[in-house]
Amino acid sequence: MSEAARQRAEELALKNRRTGLTIFQWSWIMAFISLVVVNLQLRNQYPSWPPPNVKPFNPVLPTIATLGLILSVVLVNRAHQAIKQDEQRRFLGQLGIALGLGLAFVLVMAYEWVIADVSTQYGVLFRLMTAFHGLHALVIGGILAYIYRAGRQGHYHSGNTWAVEAGAKLWYFVLVAWILFYLFLYWI
Amino acid sequence: MATISIPLPGISETAPRPRLSEYFRWSVDHKIIGVQYMVTALFFFLVGGAMAMLIRWELLTPKLDVLDSGSTFNAVLTMHGSAMLFLWIIPMMAGLGNYIVPLQLGAKDMAFPWLNAFAFWLIPPAGLLIIMGWFFGPAEAGWTAYPPLSTMFSGDGQTLWALGVHLLGLSSILGSINFIVTIKNMRPPSMSIWQMPLFCWAILATSIIAVMATPFLAGALTLLILDRVAGTTFFNPAAGGDVLVWQNIFWFYSHPAVYVMVLPSFGIMSDVISVHSRKPIFGYRMIALSSLAIALVGFTVWAHHMFTSLQPELRIPFMVTTMIIAVPTGIKIFSWLATVIGGKIRLNSAMIFALSLLSLFLIGGITGVMLAAVPINIYVHDTYFVVAHFHFTLFGGGVFGIYAALYHWWPKITGRKLDERLGKIHWFLTYFGFLGTFFPQQIVGMLGMPRRVAVYDPAFQSWNVIISISAFILGLSVLVLIYNMVVSTIRGEVAGPNPWRALTLEWATSSPPPAWNFDEDPVPFEDPYGYGTEGANAYLSALEERFSPPVVAPAAETVEEAAEEIAEGESSQEA
Repeated sequence: MSEAARQRAEELALKNRRTGLTIFQWSWIMAFISLVVVNLQLRNQYPSWPPPNVKPFNPVLPTIATLGLILSVVLVNRAHQAIKQDEQRRFLGQLGIALGLGLAFVLVMAYEWVIADVSTQYGVLFRLMTAFHGLHALVIGGILAYIYRAGRQGHYHSGNTWAVEAGAKLWYFVLVAWILFYLFLYWI
Repeated sequence: MATISIPLPGISETAPRPRLSEYFRWSVDHKIIGVQYMVTALFFFLVGGAMAMLIRWELLTPKLDVLDSGSTFNAVLTMHGSAMLFLWIIPMMAGLGNYIVPLQLGAKDMAFPWLNAFAFWLIPPAGLLIIMGWFFGPAEAGWTAYPPLSTMFSGDGQTLWALGVHLLGLSSILGSINFIVTIKNMRPPSMSIWQMPLFCWAILATSIIAVMATPFLAGALTLLILDRVAGTTFFNPAAGGDVLVWQNIFWFYSHPAVYVMVLPSFGIMSDVISVHSRKPIFGYRMIALSSLAIALVGFTVWAHHMFTSLQPELRIPFMVTTMIIAVPTGIKIFSWLATVIGGKIRLNSAMIFALSLLSLFLIGGITGVMLAAVPINIYVHDTYFVVAHFHFTLFGGGVFGIYAALYHWWPKITGRKLDERLGKIHWFLTYFGFLGTFFPQQIVGMLGMPRRVAVYDPAFQSWNVIISISAFILGLSVLVLIYNMVVSTIRGEVAGPNPWRALTLEWATSSPPPAWNFDEDPVPFEDPYGYGTEGANAYLSALEERFSPPVVAPAAETVEEAAEEIAEGESSQEA
């Protein structure tokens, strides 16, 4: 096979992966939307939300965690830019901080999950949605950790950034899905 | 990942079939996977069909006499619906798409071959879970699994059912992502999206629906499993839940999903009708865009399944959107009619099934508009009128399309044509068995016979005897098809690369195609449906010349090997 044909095939493969990942993100956000719809519909049973006599969740800690998650996404994005210019140290440093922030977010939300009062539908829905999101954060965070490890072994360089790009895009997804849930869990 | 393609030198044009053992292994070849999908789906078709026969046997008499209890009847009904929808039509369409779409696009494989295989291999365990449920207290809630039936009354089989359907949903999402990427990125440079065969358009629209709607099913099933296993009460009104949550989320998936089942059939129609009428398709762009329109409007109609449980002020909007969706469907019907009229029609089995689809789906569509009207809907809600309607659309629209596709593309898949005489017998039994089964159901439905119940008013018995006998004929027709498949694969008429003189690219290679589909990059004809023009005839003659004589003379060893493989394939070939 000629060099040109090989290059064409590689370009096509990369283009396919990008398109595929985008479609997956559009698709899977619908699962999160479906839970929002469930939340909205179950509220209809009650005169107010949270139901009378139920204490609303305290948004302070989750808001801080959300800010951490936003910062983490920004850092992953910068790490991706860094590796595109072969700046290994900056890449690893920013990815590492991003991972730490992501872990902090998961731990805070796990704490909120544990202390939630589940005697009413309000608490059960909270647990359902945070757990659903938390599982995604854990799995995708795991992928990022794997990328970090591979990055430390020098797997990535300006000619091989697809894994970093995919990890970063999935991490965006975690953020977008969380903002959606965050608004409906705490503010709307 | 096999994204780099190397055309095999030498023997590809002799077109040996793949070895039988290939079909039982992990394979990333889209043609193997396509056949795997189709054979698996056919197996579940037989399971679902057996259940249907049992239902009709029970309904021969007004009393409960064949099955031991109403619960068993519910379980049989659930298995029938789940097998037919989730395990037969959807995987069958995915299988056809898998086999045909890359060929029609002149591509060497799907965009993600590994993912493709993974999506297929989710289906057998899912089917196993659903069937296994039978032995753990069967699921009794029908394929729609409405709570509280599915939460408070069914046995553990319902949990296994939910897990199985969960897997099928995942498979469907992954498969559809693959289709969209393949269709978007892997067309040859000289094929614009407006020169793409209409089957690919249909699969594109189907896949868009599947990726956007199926996550809702995942959400609904997650809640169902939690309610059954973890003690939550999302669907229990006594504890702050709401059964309507399930209905909304489920139908938001499932109404678009009925178009997942029937849209590929529309694509098959466009291809088959144009080829066998020897005429350009009428209104190519309108047919292509109407598929997308159906996909889009399909997301706005779900609540018409819930007219009796919905807030009354929401009925009219959903009634209107439901009637609007008949418009793009009508565009297709008229386009096909305009294609057929004045054509040089070849009345072979594929074409007869396609024309039958036209007549039957028309009835299904019209009863659909009737059901969309709230006053009629409330009157016939949950009667056999509804059963007749969705069998006219899903059997008349879906399965007849699958049959047409089988007769049309069988030569490409196996290298041999299906037997025409057996095909006509199959058609005769299917068409009249179908009409005898489902037309009277409209009448008993109007008279008020409720669906999903094993006992009924003795006044309906004469109609039900007619229905049951016709249903048995319909069951028999499937055996004729299976017999035809087996016999024709072993000693059917050898088809050659392009038996129908069709212009789309799947016919521009040997039958069955070689491992990477095309020996050299194929050049698509400028208009995939430009039949009857001089350019088209020249293109077809050139194709014919290129592929004859079909056997080029490779080295002696290779011939022996090829002959051996053909002999082996013939003695033990499966569908």
